[in-house]
Amino acid sequence: MHVYLPIAEMPVNVLVFLSLGAAVGFLSGLFGVGGGFLLTPLLIFLGIPPAVAVGTGAAHIVASSVSGAVTQYQRNNVDVKMGLVMMAGGLAGTFIGVEAVRLLRKSGQFDVTVSLIYVTFLGVIGGLMLIESLTAWSNTRTGGTSASSRRSGQHSWVDGLPIKMRFNRSKLYISAIPPAVIGMFVGFLAAIMGIGGGFIMIPAMIYLLRMPAAVVVGTSLFQIVFVAAFATLLHAVQNRTVDIVLAMLLIAGGVFGAQFGALAGERLRNENMRILLAALVLIVAVRIGVDLVLPPAELYSFSGMQGGS
Amino acid sequence: MKRRAWSLPAFAIALLLGMSATRAIAAAVDAPRETVEADVSTRSVSITSGFTGTEIIIFGTVENSRQPSAEAGTYDVVVVVEGTPAPVVVRRKARAGGLWINSSSIRFASFPSYYAIASTRPIDEVSDIAVLNKNEIGFGHVRMMPSGSSRNVATDPAEIAKFREAVIRLKQRDGLYVTADYGVSFIGRSLFRSTITLPPNVPVGALTARVYLLKDRALLSSYRSKVELERAGLERFLHAAAYDAPIFYAAATIVLAALAGMASAFAFRLARR
Repeated sequence: MHVYLPIAEMPVNVLVFLSLGAAVGFLSGLFGVGGGFLLTPLLIFLGIPPAVAVGTGAAHIVASSVSGAVTQYQRNNVDVKMGLVMMAGGLAGTFIGVEAVRLLRKSGQFDVTVSLIYVTFLGVIGGLMLIESLTAWSNTRTGGTSASSRRSGQHSWVDGLPIKMRFNRSKLYISAIPPAVIGMFVGFLAAIMGIGGGFIMIPAMIYLLRMPAAVVVGTSLFQIVFVAAFATLLHAVQNRTVDIVLAMLLIAGGVFGAQFGALAGERLRNENMRILLAALVLIVAVRIGVDLVLPPAELYSFSGMQGGS
Repeated sequence: MKRRAWSLPAFAIALLLGMSATRAIAAAVDAPRETVEADVSTRSVSITSGFTGTEIIIFGTVENSRQPSAEAGTYDVVVVVEGTPAPVVVRRKARAGGLWINSSSIRFASFPSYYAIASTRPIDEVSDIAVLNKNEIGFGHVRMMPSGSSRNVATDPAEIAKFREAVIRLKQRDGLYVTADYGVSFIGRSLFRSTITLPPNVPVGALTARVYLLKDRALLSSYRSKVELERAGLERFLHAAAYDAPIFYAAATIVLAALAGMASAFAFRLARR
């Protein structure tokens, strides 16, 4: 069964894209990540124009992050104030990111830039995650206690910055600048990569802001909802690259997949899960990296000008 | 007397010969020229959510055909269906610092978005380059002029030709440039038909159908018609919304996405109780 996509301007097999949404949803439910880093490359692989994949990916992230954020909010795992500060930075970053997408598309360097950013971030985060989770895994094997990343009374350069704010839920009294800058940086990357950015934001919140682990996921999801919604709006208005039919197919598959993924996730040990996720992230990074380095089968490509009928 | 008796039949013969000669000349001058009359089976094609490509039939007749049979091959017919010409940027990758990135580009001011050609014989057998170029018959004969804003490319015609060939190759790969060397067939002395397939990814926009009648490599007559190719129904509504009311379109997408997310969160919670 086929349906014609109004923005991508191509007919697609409904079942293929429902299953893609479900598969990515399953993994995101399993690992507690948004799954954008898998979805966008897979959409491009299936022939969706890269810019449409990124714009439509933003709409998909709205759905998956709302789903997670609602659950986290009900468990009181959201630091709303922290989320709002990060969101302020995130909105600015998204604005710059969408503008960068427009300029890169115009100059023909969009695809290669996205690929490079993917390889860099997935490679670094995946590598760090793998090292960290392998260490944790060997620690639990040898019966040793996992090292706490947070020591009370520890001071860093972050404490010297102005505009201090009290974040009750996180039990922090820190400057608003680092969370805003992190939000902005992740918002920028998210807009270019078509991802939510949770896998970059969560480590930053834990290691740079030293937020308690309990509120990290909820707060990250909370602000991703708004940043992804803003990215969807900008991609639709500036680039006309949000395909509502494609978004609905992916979301419909994704919401089911995510529930089954979450159920399956409860049966997996935390350390094992992180090793699997790290491996998955690294596989995507290597796959994209190989395409950048190997001589392409076709050297030429063409694109129409914007504003076609 | 004898001389007269001889001259009368001679005069009659001469008169008869003269008359038939004049008639032959008159016949040659007045012979009605062959012309082509044609039409398209579908004047307008709608792209709806179920669109997976379609076929259009182009049929026509040779007026005053002097072809003895359908198989005689006296005439050649070429059918061209062309999409709206649009500017296109062609890029070429080169290795830079170990990575393959787009390094040179040429912008062509106008390039047919879709080009299907069918003929009674391969086009190089049908006519000469001058005629093919003039009428833009065949991929290689379509006018594609590079325009300003080209990058890192010498204005060398050989180099431009490579970019041009690349677009044609890519369009052929996507099924948007199609050729059928024996795709036009005569059904009788004067009636011919051809089927043109519009692929599912055909760019939306008006199509032009052209029919050429040729004989002995010379163009005798041509015909031209338009085929509308438009979005319809929901497809039209969504596309128009995305382009004319992008804020409303984006808001609708976001609200739908958020509702789906919330619904799944609540459904999941109920299911777990």
